[in-house]
Amino acid sequence: MLYLLRETAPARRRRTVLSVIVLFFLLSLASWVSAQDEHDKPIPILTGNIGTFSFVTGGQNLIDTQINPVLLVPLGDRWLIESRAEFEGQFQRPPGGGPYAGPVNKHVDYAQVDYIANPYLTVTAGRFLTPFGIFNERLYPVWIRFLQPDPLILPIRTAPSDGAMFRGGFPVSAHANMNYALYISATSIGIGSVNAERHVGGRMGFFFPGPRLEVGSSWQKTLQDDRRSAFGFHMSWQPSKLPMSLRSEYAHSFEGSGYWVEGAYRLSQVHFWQRAMRRTEFVARGQQFFVGAIGADAESALGLPGANTREGDFGVNYFLRDGMKGIFSYGRQFSSVGNFNQWSFGLAYRFLIPLGRTGASPEAQ
Amino acid sequence: MKTSIRWRVLGAFGTLVLTSSLFAGSPSAKKETDASAVVQTSDAGSMRIEGEKRFHANCGRCHAAPQKFPPRMMGTVLRHMRVRAMITEEDRRLILFYMTQ
Repeated sequence: MLYLLRETAPARRRRTVLSVIVLFFLLSLASWVSAQDEHDKPIPILTGNIGTFSFVTGGQNLIDTQINPVLLVPLGDRWLIESRAEFEGQFQRPPGGGPYAGPVNKHVDYAQVDYIANPYLTVTAGRFLTPFGIFNERLYPVWIRFLQPDPLILPIRTAPSDGAMFRGGFPVSAHANMNYALYISATSIGIGSVNAERHVGGRMGFFFPGPRLEVGSSWQKTLQDDRRSAFGFHMSWQPSKLPMSLRSEYAHSFEGSGYWVEGAYRLSQVHFWQRAMRRTEFVARGQQFFVGAIGADAESALGLPGANTREGDFGVNYFLRDGMKGIFSYGRQFSSVGNFNQWSFGLAYRFLIPLGRTGASPEAQ
Repeated sequence: MKTSIRWRVLGAFGTLVLTSSLFAGSPSAKKETDASAVVQTSDAGSMRIEGEKRFHANCGRCHAAPQKFPPRMMGTVLRHMRVRAMITEEDRRLILFYMTQ
């Protein structure tokens, strides 16, 4: 272990030590909190997801295996400590053949303390997922997303933020709820952990429970260099009469612009093979990306396409049991640098482990 | 220089959190919390129906409906969702009631 520490760069060593300390602190806290024997108090839980996928892009196979543990530690009536890490291995055969090999990336997506001040305000401090659009914050986990390939615009202004955030959701009338998030980030670690920046931003949305429609917009401004702004819009709709879900996002920034629209239809209303059909979901996504003014290399470093790109994806998800689904999808990408097919298949699973006494179980659904 | 700015920003956030805590601890804030209490009816049946409705409306926005978990686990999950998905306090209470019956 010490040998490994000596071999790493100072920044990386600091990060590793910090991560170990944070993890040790959180686990100790979880044990201490779970030891508090109060009958109906929330207990710490370890949840998250595991997924293994095979992506065949332009004939090149990539095996992607990941685990994303999420630790939730409630404290008292108003506090919550939450953290998510990502361990992702991406393995490919080298050109010319040979066994699969590749890097294993590991990082902390968020490690934050939430204080629920009142029904209108929650204060968050630490590293948190940047609330720009809805995909990054709410739809990213592999057991939730409709299609496993990321939307093309996902890297736009979604690197984790380090700072503080004010957020909340509350009813503004009998038919509408409003939600908001305002944040300031002192250092944002970008792709490859090489960028640091300061920015402020916010997101506001309205959810109409009757038609199950949510619409909203996001904004972010960097507080350095050219102080550039980015903005986006999002919507989500689940009609109550159909087992269907529609989502969409648009983002505009100096780095690039684009949108995606995706839908899912669960075959629960089909009258034959009902046992299998109600577990089956058809999904589709259409998206487009327009390059910004930062050049192809910088786009690529951010994880964005280097040219204007269009993509269509179709897929099937099969829910094997609660939190576990098999996925299959096909997509085709079109751009001036070349068109190619993208196939994916794999398995995603969400786990949930109590770290304390759970109390009585409700009736199983 | 960079470290100094970082500490100043952290200090400012600390002050904000502390201020917010004091605000939340004041009687008026407590009153606000109590005022939004959902239990305006003692009818557990209608609460369960309303909870189920809100469960499908809110949770279905992002993911397929999960199974029910023991009450102390659901309390944590819903606190997490209160923050992550920004569901309202009223929705949280009703969904918790429905999911723990």
